[in-house]
Amino acid sequence: MAAVNPGARFVIGGQTAMLLALYLFLYFPIFYTGYLSIMENNVWPFPPVFTGEWYDRLMIMSDFHVGLLNSVLIGVGTASLSTLFATAAAIGILRYPIRRRGVIVVLFLAPLFVAQILIGISTLMFNRNVLGIPGNIESAIVANTAYSVSFAFLVILAQLVRYDWRFDEVAQVFGARPFRTFREVTFPNIWPAVLGAFIISFILGFNNFEITFYNVAAIPTLPTIAWGTLRHGIEPELYALATIVNALVFLLLFIIYLLIRVGALRLGVPDD
Amino acid sequence: MKGRRALLLDPRVRFATLVGPGALFIVLFLLIPLLSIVVFSFWRTESYELISDWNVNNYEAVLGEWIYLKFLLKSLAMAAAVSAICLVYAWPCAYLIAKHGGRYKLVLVLLTAAPFLTGILLRITAMQQILGPIGLVNMALMELGAQPIQVLMYTNIASAVGLIYLWIPFMLLAIYLSLFNFNFELLEVAKVNGARPWRAFFEVTWPLNWMGTAIGIVLVFIPTFAASVTPRFLGGPDGSMFVNRLEHQFGSAGTWALGSAMGVVMCVASLAVIFVLWRTVRLRRAGFTGAGA
Repeated sequence: MAAVNPGARFVIGGQTAMLLALYLFLYFPIFYTGYLSIMENNVWPFPPVFTGEWYDRLMIMSDFHVGLLNSVLIGVGTASLSTLFATAAAIGILRYPIRRRGVIVVLFLAPLFVAQILIGISTLMFNRNVLGIPGNIESAIVANTAYSVSFAFLVILAQLVRYDWRFDEVAQVFGARPFRTFREVTFPNIWPAVLGAFIISFILGFNNFEITFYNVAAIPTLPTIAWGTLRHGIEPELYALATIVNALVFLLLFIIYLLIRVGALRLGVPDD
Repeated sequence: MKGRRALLLDPRVRFATLVGPGALFIVLFLLIPLLSIVVFSFWRTESYELISDWNVNNYEAVLGEWIYLKFLLKSLAMAAAVSAICLVYAWPCAYLIAKHGGRYKLVLVLLTAAPFLTGILLRITAMQQILGPIGLVNMALMELGAQPIQVLMYTNIASAVGLIYLWIPFMLLAIYLSLFNFNFELLEVAKVNGARPWRAFFEVTWPLNWMGTAIGIVLVFIPTFAASVTPRFLGGPDGSMFVNRLEHQFGSAGTWALGSAMGVVMCVASLAVIFVLWRTVRLRRAGFTGAGA
């Protein structure tokens, strides 16, 4: 590159300022919520007076434990189905260059382009009026999977593009059946991508509101509890809830980051 | 036995076995329910029950009556404005990370994407603590003895800020991924040949990354157009959007057929946006660079 002239330095400086402002915009509300969750006065918490009361209140809320369990169930169910479908599809698409496989790629990415609320109401209407299934955890898992599978697919596809399928061919030349090849060769190499997809789709299912809301009837989940609380004006317990969920999400994302960094094969990861 | 073995080795069979289950799942649980609301939108509702009495009254109401059309236009305008702001703001940020991020690219991008995963409701809760009447901004102003900023408290502007907050990561990610695959040396070539930086940007960088940008626009436009939580909790008395009217049909009103028609209208409007952008992508691929000469 040519020497950086003053004009270019000005542009880079401006872009850096914009990026820093964006991080501040994105993270300040999250950290402020965390700060509020341990403050006795939630309206003007300066100077700070610490309290653990909001966490105590959250813990004795009867709905909280049921909601947490249900959200975990929806998250795990969504993640299991999404990861299974997405892994199989990504392998199929990358390994067997069938003509018109582009159609399948479009199909797997289509849910990204459908508004969540439309997925919510259309599955509600279909289940209720055509299949006669009432809203429950299972239908919430199915509807969430129809959305999250796209994210799982993208995560896996992005990392498998650079996987060397010759490993698998070698195994098969030596007589390994497809399933054994997957278990002993493919999976040990691609597991960071698969786990990454599982974590992402777990978080999406766990936190989903618009799809879940229309599919769980009156069963409480953490997002629907938060919605109920918001409707009647914010109570400080909600800050505690938000802080716990945010901490969990960031912990999981940090795990994904480590997976990408130390990933067994560094599969096509945009990294140094 | 030999036939079965040959069948198992056929790439097409293996492809179908791997891809089939997921594809079938998406067709069954995404596409068919969506098609079912197209059918319901031509029926009518009577005391909370759908009746298969074919008619187009629902569409006449949604597209003909001002109370619905007004909200449709308002939602479209909001989605267009939010997408435009996200586009203008995310581009320089994505460009900086892609070009000068060095070995920190991955961390910098993951940091912008992370808040998206904390969930819509919790993020809007957080936003209320900043912008609301007892939020940080207003309370700080009151402590200082200044006038409150009315425009940020339960208005459509607050709604827009909330929507940008929710969806700008998608725009940034889409543009970043496009720039990540962009060969920055092309820019140097343009400059060596005498193009000024701005001209090089609009003649080389922008058109070659238009497809990623268009994907970013769609990924922001669609959820913004369909936002319900944000206008409800940040928008205040005049914040109601088309989707809030739609939700009403599925809630207390119980007019499922009308609600379905509203859903179909939303879907068609989103598809129209995708189609228009898709056309521009194809034109540019064919060498069309817009107004540039």
